[in-house]
Amino acid sequence: MTDLSFRAAEQQAPVVDEQRADDRASGRGAGSRRRFRIGAGEALAGAYLIAAVVAAVAPGLLSPVDPLAISPSQAFSPPSLADPAVTLLGTDESGRSILSRIIHGAGPSLLIGASATAIGLLLGAALGLFAGLSGRVVDFAVNRLLEVLFALPGLLLALFLIVIVGPGVVTTTLAVGLSTAPGYARIIRGQVLAIRRSGYIEAATVLGVSPVRRLIRHMLPNTAGPLLALGTLGLGQAIVWASALSYLGLGAVPPSPEWGAMLAAGRIYLTTAWWMSVMPGLAIVLTAMSATALGRGVQRRVRAL
Amino acid sequence: MPLSSKPRTRARAIPLAFVATATATALLLTGCTGGSTAPSASGTPTAGGTLTYASGDGEPTCLDPHVGGNYPQALLGGQFLESLVSRDSSGEIIPWLASSWEVTDDGLSYTFTLRDGVSFTDGTPLDAEAVKANVAHVQDPDTGSSTGYLALQKVANVEALDATTVRFDLSAPDSALLESLSQPWVAIESPAGLERGIEANCEGPIGTGPFTVSEWIKQDRVILTRNDAYVSPPADAGHEGAAYLDEIVWRFIPDSASRYAALQAGEVDVIDNAQPDTIVAATEQSGLAELDAPRPGSVNRLELNSDKAPFDDERVREAFIRAADVNDGIQSLFFGTAQRSYSPLSSVETTAYSDESLFGTDLDEANSLLDAAGWTQRDSEGYRTKDGQRLSLQFPVSTNQSIPAEQSLFEQIQATVKDAGFEVVLQPLDLSSWYGALGANEYDVVSAPYTKVGPDVLRILYDSSGITPAPSGYFANHAQVNRPELDAILSQASATSDADERADLYKQAQKIVLEGYYILPLYDQQNHFLYRDRVQGLRAMPTVSTPTFYDVSLSE
Repeated sequence: MTDLSFRAAEQQAPVVDEQRADDRASGRGAGSRRRFRIGAGEALAGAYLIAAVVAAVAPGLLSPVDPLAISPSQAFSPPSLADPAVTLLGTDESGRSILSRIIHGAGPSLLIGASATAIGLLLGAALGLFAGLSGRVVDFAVNRLLEVLFALPGLLLALFLIVIVGPGVVTTTLAVGLSTAPGYARIIRGQVLAIRRSGYIEAATVLGVSPVRRLIRHMLPNTAGPLLALGTLGLGQAIVWASALSYLGLGAVPPSPEWGAMLAAGRIYLTTAWWMSVMPGLAIVLTAMSATALGRGVQRRVRAL
Repeated sequence: MPLSSKPRTRARAIPLAFVATATATALLLTGCTGGSTAPSASGTPTAGGTLTYASGDGEPTCLDPHVGGNYPQALLGGQFLESLVSRDSSGEIIPWLASSWEVTDDGLSYTFTLRDGVSFTDGTPLDAEAVKANVAHVQDPDTGSSTGYLALQKVANVEALDATTVRFDLSAPDSALLESLSQPWVAIESPAGLERGIEANCEGPIGTGPFTVSEWIKQDRVILTRNDAYVSPPADAGHEGAAYLDEIVWRFIPDSASRYAALQAGEVDVIDNAQPDTIVAATEQSGLAELDAPRPGSVNRLELNSDKAPFDDERVREAFIRAADVNDGIQSLFFGTAQRSYSPLSSVETTAYSDESLFGTDLDEANSLLDAAGWTQRDSEGYRTKDGQRLSLQFPVSTNQSIPAEQSLFEQIQATVKDAGFEVVLQPLDLSSWYGALGANEYDVVSAPYTKVGPDVLRILYDSSGITPAPSGYFANHAQVNRPELDAILSQASATSDADERADLYKQAQKIVLEGYYILPLYDQQNHFLYRDRVQGLRAMPTVSTPTFYDVSLSE
């Protein structure tokens, strides 16, 4: 029996190869090697993200300046090379180095973004698999629930959770995670349904492979790729959302260096000290862009597998 | 515009010559900033037009300043409600709804003669019964008054002698009664309006003022319309009869940058709570002008909760004050728009007493004080500990009441006292959570502005009775100063009618507060308004520094 099921699965494989052959023939795919070549954009995005991760793990390595050290006499210094460690990206209203604060803020900002994405993905995956694998009634119920959640904008859902639980970094992370979950759940459910109707699962079912084994051996590996791609794409969004919540004063508490909180602190000085909000804003935008660029790359490659 | 380092000119001790110079300086200052009277020289004011005001203060939940009693209510209420007396720019009490008054020698009874021919905007005449009804309303626990309640605390009975004569009988002499009565929180409202019940009255209190509330669109604006039958301006107003403006649109724009942008775009004519950097920017720009009107009463300060550890130990309080370095911060954050204070009282109060020597920053001194107080160990993060407890201070910050520059200053204080081993936990809170934290005694440091006319504010803020909450749940003695000798001095000051003796007693009271290290004075309560050039004749009331639009006209 097992042998047969294996053979059934292997029979699927040539289909993919055929597709690749088609791509090659039509000239648009240009083959696996080219697909996996890393473009300049992706290289830049990767380099930036690596730098951000280094900053998150060991901020002292990149900036020796204390992000909380105040120096009122140096307040509102515009970006300059005078004292690069402090003033390269300017200083804030208390004379703290924006460069150092962005570097030290990478940890909290990325951690919130990554944890929120992980929470959203895990929850979404669980819900999606559950809906996709259960019967019609459960699927219907989960679908309607997702539709209700979709009716509320994600940020509103996050705000709602924060109102109930109270503000703070942990709540923000949870709130962003939970409010992204419905999106992931829907995509994964679709994926599960597609796979469930595929020939190799039908074959496995006919051959009497147990549901658990079907899930672990066939379904999960086939949803993992899209999940990974979604996660990388979602990271950027989660960082932006977490920053938005901190910006609203619901996340990190001052004067801790968190990008969203820095953006908020700089807002009132926008006309006189633009660098206070533009610099952390750039950090957020670049991180989100890099994560998205890499996410798209991963997505493309996964689809090609 | 850096701060000059010259010593402040202000009444330090109380010799008369000093008071005179200080008053003159204060007059000069208010004069410079447009605080003096009425329309400027640019011809006769034209009637008509709509003025748009944008407030950064929170929108009141009730427009009746008797209920609770905060500054946003005073700002708005001052346009349509009036008090028995007012104060002029030299600090003298002047007639308003009361045209004259007499005090008995024992100071226990005040008889007011009301102005003739004044009616509320609902047609009810202003008479002695109306005044009596208002005092009863403020003193009624159901009204939930805190500011007005404290102002009238010693009024035991009100007697309507005839239609225009009313007598206040006091339970104890109160030298501050007239100052208290000049405030918008005890304004006189139509008794017919009060009878509608608290909820209905909150929606549109009925007064005798130059404008009336015609509509309140919640979360957006209040529309005030001219009272054409107006006859009762205070004695220092610029003209008589009805106001010039047809209408005031009172908007709420909490975000300071949006407020300033609206002013620049000409969308609004006047904004309050102007931020230091925008004040500097506005003064460099043509078409905009500034009105600087520091609030009376208390100075802005940090209050240290002396009721519980660690600040129940005076040495720890002194160490905190010695470790906190605020001068550089005030200079850079406020761009020279705020002057450092070393007094419990606002610089507009002639009885303010300063002692700069108590507030010099000295880290070594702070460290040895903490050592002496037993905070000798340091943990891995550099904070001091005693018996395994970290020297940690809870600092709830009201984001509604502290402007961003002030919040930044608190962050700087947090950074500087860390060097001495203090951990300060800043908690930005909305107003109701902030009141909650205070009510639960869950704070060690707090900054709560308090505005009141005259030095009697010291009694409210530092008398031990101020630890007990008012009917609204609010208590004002956040430092929880509990000193019998201070209570005695404050009640003596209330009882004396001799101005010099009163000033001397208030000086002694301020000395006790300063020398006990209960507070860290910062600067006057900042109250900066920016307005467009077309607004003529704007001034701040010398009572609680709210702007008045009675004399204002628009030029095109």
